[in-house]
Parts: sequence; C-alpha cells; structure tokens
Amino acid sequence: MSATLGHILRRAARSLWENLSLNAVASGVIAAALLLGGAFWGAMSTLNDAVEVWEKDVHLSAYFASGVDEERQRAVLAEVQAMPEVEAVTWVTAADARGYLEERVPDIQPILVELGEAAVPASLEITLRARYIGDETLADFVTRLHRAEFEELDYGKEWVERLTAFLGLLKALGAALGTLLVMAAVFLVGNTMHLVTYARRAELETMKLVGATLQFIAAPFLIEGAVQGLVGALLAIGALSGLKVVLLGRVQELVPLGQAPLADGSLGLTTVLGLLIVGVLLGVVGCGSAVLRFWRQAP
Amino acid sequence: MIRLYHVSKSYGSAQVLHDVTFRLSKGEFAYLTGASGAGKSTLLKLLYGAEAPSSGKLLVGGVDASKLGPARLPLLRRNLGVIFQDFKLIPNRTVFDNVGLALEVIGAERREISRRVNAVLNVVGLGGKGERRPLDLSGGEQQRVAIARAIVNDPAVLLADEPTGNLDGAMAVEVMEILLSINLRGTTVLIATHDNGLMERFPHRRLRLNAGRLSE
Repeated sequence: MSATLGHILRRAARSLWENLSLNAVASGVIAAALLLGGAFWGAMSTLNDAVEVWEKDVHLSAYFASGVDEERQRAVLAEVQAMPEVEAVTWVTAADARGYLEERVPDIQPILVELGEAAVPASLEITLRARYIGDETLADFVTRLHRAEFEELDYGKEWVERLTAFLGLLKALGAALGTLLVMAAVFLVGNTMHLVTYARRAELETMKLVGATLQFIAAPFLIEGAVQGLVGALLAIGALSGLKVVLLGRVQELVPLGQAPLADGSLGLTTVLGLLIVGVLLGVVGCGSAVLRFWRQAP
Repeated sequence: MIRLYHVSKSYGSAQVLHDVTFRLSKGEFAYLTGASGAGKSTLLKLLYGAEAPSSGKLLVGGVDASKLGPARLPLLRRNLGVIFQDFKLIPNRTVFDNVGLALEVIGAERREISRRVNAVLNVVGLGGKGERRPLDLSGGEQQRVAIARAIVNDPAVLLADEPTGNLDGAMAVEVMEILLSINLRGTTVLIATHDNGLMERFPHRRLRLNAGRLSE
C-alpha cells in the first residue's frame, strides 16, 4: 500500500490549518524577502532604462570649416550617413544655425554681424546607434569621421567616459548587492522553516519512530512550503504594486527615466510569474532542507 | 525473533553495554530489568534502531538492525510496536489520530484505519474516547493510547520501556494484563522495567542488566 496523492494533500491541508500562525510567519518572511528582492530588481531595471535613455542622448556635432561649399557639405553628409555606426544625421546649414541662434537670442544679431560668417558654421548633428556607444568604439568612429572639411568635432568625450564608468560600476554593484540579497533571503527563509519544523519536532519525531519514511514526512511539508511561498509571493506582489504607485510617479518627476518597467500601472507578467516561481521555490527548498535536517537528527 | 551477539554500546569513553548476547523466541514474554542507568533504555533503542551498536550484531525479526541505513529503518519499525516511557503522543491530535498514525505511515486506507483503530481502542478500554486529546486523559489512559498505537498494526515484536512506571498499582496491573493478552496472540514482548512487585505477580523470563552487563 502506498500513500496516495489525496492522502498527502489531506495531511498538508490539515497541517496548514492546524499550524496557521507558523505558516503565516513563514509566508511573511518569504514575502519580506521577495519584496526586498523585487524592489531591488525594480530599482535596477528602472536605472538601466534611465541609462538607456541617457545613452541615446549621446551625439556628435561636426562643424564644417569655413570655405567648404554646400555641395561639398552635401557630399560629406552622404558619406557620414553611410557609416554603420550612424543612426541619424541632421545637416544644419550656416543659415539655419544663424536663424536658430537669432530666434533663441534676439539681441545677438549685432555681434554675429561683427564676427562675420565664420562665427556660426554649418554642421552635421550625428546620432549614433546605441551599440556603438562605448569608450573604444566611439573613439574609433571619431577617428574615421575626421576629415579636412571639418574644423571641429564635438562629441562630449568626458560625458561618454563618465557614463561608461558609471554603467560598469552600476553593474558590479548590482551583481554584488543581488548576490548578498539572494543569500540573505535563502538564509532567512531557511532558518524560519527550521524554526517552524522545530516547533513541530515532537510530531515529526513520533512519525519517524512509528515507521514513517522521509517521503511520507516530507511530502506534506513540501506542499505546505509551496503554499507558504505562493502566499508570500502574492503578498510581495501586492506590496510591490503599492510601492510602485506611491514611489515611481515621484521618482519619474525627479529623473527622466523613459519607459520604466513598472510605469504602465502593473508589475508585468514576467515579473509576476518570476515572483511566484521564486516564492514557491523558496518555500519548497526551505521546507525541504528543514525536514531533511530534522530527519538526520531525529532518533 | 530477537537475537543479540556480543553487542556493545559506548558514548565516547562511557561504555553503556558490554558484550550483550541473548535470544528471544517468537511469542516469548520477557522482562529486561535492572537499576536506573543499567542500560535498559539503550538496549531498547538499539532494538528499534534509534541507536546503532558500537560493535556486535543485532537481529530483529530476521533483520540486521545494526546495519540498517536511514532508508530501511522505517521498514524495521513498521514490524515493531514500541511503547515509550514518555508515551510520545502528539498533543494536538486526537486519540484516534495518534493511534491511526502507525497505520497512516504504511499508507492504509481510511476505512481500514477507522476499523482497526476503533477495534484496538476497545481492546485497551478506550472505546468512545477516540475524539479526545491526549492531554484531556489521565496518565493511565495516555499509557493505554500508547499501547494501542504500538499494537494497532499487529507487530511481531512489542517493546515497552517502563510501561507501568507512571501508573498506580491497579492501573499497572491493568496495563500488564493488556500486554499479556497481546502476547497470547503470538506477539513477542520485551518489557524494560524495574518494578519487582509486578514481575513477581506476573512471572516470566528475566534478563538482568547490571552496569551494562547481561545475566539471567
């Protein structure tokens, strides 16, 4: 005779009901771990999105030397447009630039007259494809862009360097904090499950003494762990949704975040599924290891 | 049914059992006697696999209990009935559930559990008390719940650690009569006790432990 699934489910249901407060504590701890992890992941995703927006803002201004006629400028424009790194190019003629400047600063006309035509040169405003915005690739592109027709290339080198360094630091920090967080969550959940099992040690010990197998003892515990994890994940999802509503709007007012992952009013299917899976896994692994530890120690 | 060959047990430098050898046949009834600390409980623990011997060989129902791994231990215990000195009842379960546990662990059907538990509760005089919790019962009644759980799956061997230790005279006699009736059905019974009065009233073979050494 073997214990049927129905038998195991009945025992799990009874145990869940009889140990409601212990199960609530376990679910609460899982929810706290997931909330912490979820909030961290959300913050990292939002920062990544923000960085992507900033990356797209990196562009070059190539100023034509005086004496390069419009026909030649058009030819250079075509050459630049053909370069694989280039996302878009806007040709700004000297007249366009002067008009733009006069429109923005109405009193500047006398100064421009005095300085002559060379004061506001024609230029190409170049936007790069995101994958080419790296320290080395950008330097390489600038070298290849350099021509006699250009008097000056302005590409915010310092800004790009800082951005690249910041991105590297962010990723390293994220990996370190993420690892610490996962370790802390597993430790916290594992110890809570151990305490939950310890509180029921008399029952488990008696079961073992009358001939229960490890599978017989563990199966309902694993189901309990899954339920604890599921409840914990649902609590964390609710809390994260609340946090998003309260915090994200305010954060977006302060920083131009672009399309943040939580900005559409929900956590998103992937996040919800991820939290549910991680929650259930935490519950099952936590309960499983606690029961295994008990099994090895009990007479 | 039970055979021990030169079994010794020590905890660190403290030797609790010295070269114990004896044999208990099928259907036999015997007392394991000796003063407190003589090694009675340790010997019982070896028999139900809670401890492993330091040396020697130990057969229970044909199974070498000295070499059982964790996976096969439940198989040994399912063929044994054990009455623990502290009863080991689960306080938040009913009497019915406590007794039924021994059948639940072998995957018995609910109907079968119900039939056998009710029958055995009648044998130990607890008919009608199945829905009570252990802590609502007297010490003697709790002892009888522990006996009921030990015999509900008709074990080949029944081990009892001081089964009358917490009971008054009349209650102890009642419990002994239950154990004797179980023995009459063919179960091998080994009782650890130091109650001389009881052993004189119900005389059977005595295995004497003195500082871990066995004599008869």
